[in-house]
Amino acid sequence: MIKVENLSLEYDKGNPILENVSFTVQAGQFVSLIGQSGSGKTSILRAIAGLQQPSQGKVTVEDLSSRVGFLFQDDALLPWRTVRQNVSLGLRIQGEKLDSANKKADDWLEKLSLFELGDRYPSQLSGGQRKRVAIAQVLALHPKVILMDEPFASLDAIVRTRITQELIEWVEQEQITVLLITHDLEEAISLSDAVHVLSPGPKAYIKASHQVNIPRPRDILDTRNSSNFAPLLKTLWNELVGERKKENIIKFGNEKKIKA
Amino acid sequence: MTSSRIASIRKFIVFTSIILFWEFASRIGWINPFYMPSPLQVVKVIIELFQDGEIWKHLSATFFAAIVGIIGGLAIGIFLGFASALTPIIAELLEPIMIMLNAIPRVILAPLFVIWFGIGIESKIALSLILVVVLVFFAVYNGIKDVDQRLIERVQTLGGGKWILLKEVYIPSVTAWIIGNLKVAVGFAFTGAVVGEFVGSSKGLGYLLQFAQSTYNAALTISLIILIMAFVMVLFSGAERIENHLLRWRPQKKAIH
Repeated sequence: MIKVENLSLEYDKGNPILENVSFTVQAGQFVSLIGQSGSGKTSILRAIAGLQQPSQGKVTVEDLSSRVGFLFQDDALLPWRTVRQNVSLGLRIQGEKLDSANKKADDWLEKLSLFELGDRYPSQLSGGQRKRVAIAQVLALHPKVILMDEPFASLDAIVRTRITQELIEWVEQEQITVLLITHDLEEAISLSDAVHVLSPGPKAYIKASHQVNIPRPRDILDTRNSSNFAPLLKTLWNELVGERKKENIIKFGNEKKIKA
Repeated sequence: MTSSRIASIRKFIVFTSIILFWEFASRIGWINPFYMPSPLQVVKVIIELFQDGEIWKHLSATFFAAIVGIIGGLAIGIFLGFASALTPIIAELLEPIMIMLNAIPRVILAPLFVIWFGIGIESKIALSLILVVVLVFFAVYNGIKDVDQRLIERVQTLGGGKWILLKEVYIPSVTAWIIGNLKVAVGFAFTGAVVGEFVGSSKGLGYLLQFAQSTYNAALTISLIILIMAFVMVLFSGAERIENHLLRWRPQKKAIH
C-alpha cells in the first residue's frame, strides 16, 4: 500500500509546486496519476521514492525497505556492466550471492526474451531492449510495489504495446501494487484500476479521481473496446484541457493587467 | 575489400610516394642534404646509432623518466582528484593551482626543475610528472563531479548505499575518464622527459637532440625525431589497446578515414 497524506513540495521557499496532495494506492491496486507537464507528477514519485524531501506531509510505503521497484523514464542502466550484470545488480545489492543472482537474472532475461543479449553492454541494445532490461532489473527483485514514471514514453507504439502487455500480465499475476505517472490518458485507462487527475502547477492538487471499471485480466488492445473506455477518456480529456484553457485565460488576464 | 583495408592501402601509397619523392629530390639536388638529408641517410644514421650501442643508454634514460612520470603522475593525480572531489576544502585550495598549472605551458617549469633537482634524472621525472598530474587530476575531478546523477539514483533506488555507489558508479566512471586520457598522458610524459633532457642533462634522447642541434647535424636530428615518434607510437598503440579493452562497453566510434 502507498499512502500520500497532505504532501507539499517546494523548490523555492514559499513557492510550492504541490500543495496538500493526498491519495492512497491499496495493496494490489494499479493507480495512475495524470497531469500536464510541470504539474509536479515526477516530484510526487521522487518524494515517494525518498529521492526528494517533502516540505510538508507524509508518505508511507508498505515494505519500502526491500520490495519496491522503480521504473523511470530513463532506463539508466550502468553502461560498464553487461545486461546480465545490470539485471542482477539489485539482487547483489540485497546480499544475494553472485552465482544465484546471475541465475535469477538469466531467468528474467529468458522471460523477457533477452537471454541472448546477456553478455552485451547497454550501448549495444536498442531503446526497447534497454527498457526491457530495466524492467527485468526491477522485476528480478520481486517487488511488491512498483513506482513508474512514464517508463514507456520514449518507445515506438509497437514496442510500447508489447512491453506494456508483458508488464501488465506480470503485475496482475503477482498482485503488485503500482503507481504510474503518465500524461498518456489511454495508457492510464487501459492499465489502471483508478486514475487521479492533477491540476496544473504551481500549487498543484488532485482535482478529480476516477475508478476504471474494466475487468481483469486485461489485454491492452482490447481495453479500448470496453464500453467504459471512451466516456472516461472524454472525461479525463475535458478535465485536463479544461484546466489548460482556464490557465491560458488567467495568464492572458495577468499580462493585460501588467501592461495596463 | 573492406573500407578500412582500402584506407590502409591508400595511406601506404601516399606515405611511400612522399618518401620516394624525398629521396629522389635529394639525389638530383633539389634539396640541400645539409638541411634535409635523404631518407636513406637517415636510415643509415639510425642503424649506426643502434650498431654502436650508445643509443641504449639514452633510450633507457628517457623511457625511465617517462614511465616513472606516468606512473607517479597517475597515482598523485588520482589521489588529489579524489581528495578534491570528496573534500570541498581541499578542492578550494587545489583547484586554483591546478587551473593555473593547466593554463600555462607547463614545460616552462623545466629550467626551474633543473635548478631545484639538478641535471640528473630527477628533474626529468619531475617535469614529466607535473605534466601528467594536472591532466589526471582534472580527469578524476571532473569524472566524479560530472557523474551521471541518474545512475546514482538508479543504484540508490535498488538499495545501494555509499560503498555500492563508489564501487558501481564512481570508480567505473572515473576509470573511464582516466583511461580515456591515457594516450594523452603517454604523450605528455614523453614531452616532459625529452624537454627536461633538452634543457639540461648528460643523457637521454633530449640530450642527444640538443647535441645534434648544436653540431648542426640535421641527419641525427631527424633520426632522433623519427625514433621518438616510433617509440611514442608503440606506447600509444599499447594505451589504445588497454583503452579499447577496458572501455569496450562504450558506444562504438565510427572510424574516420
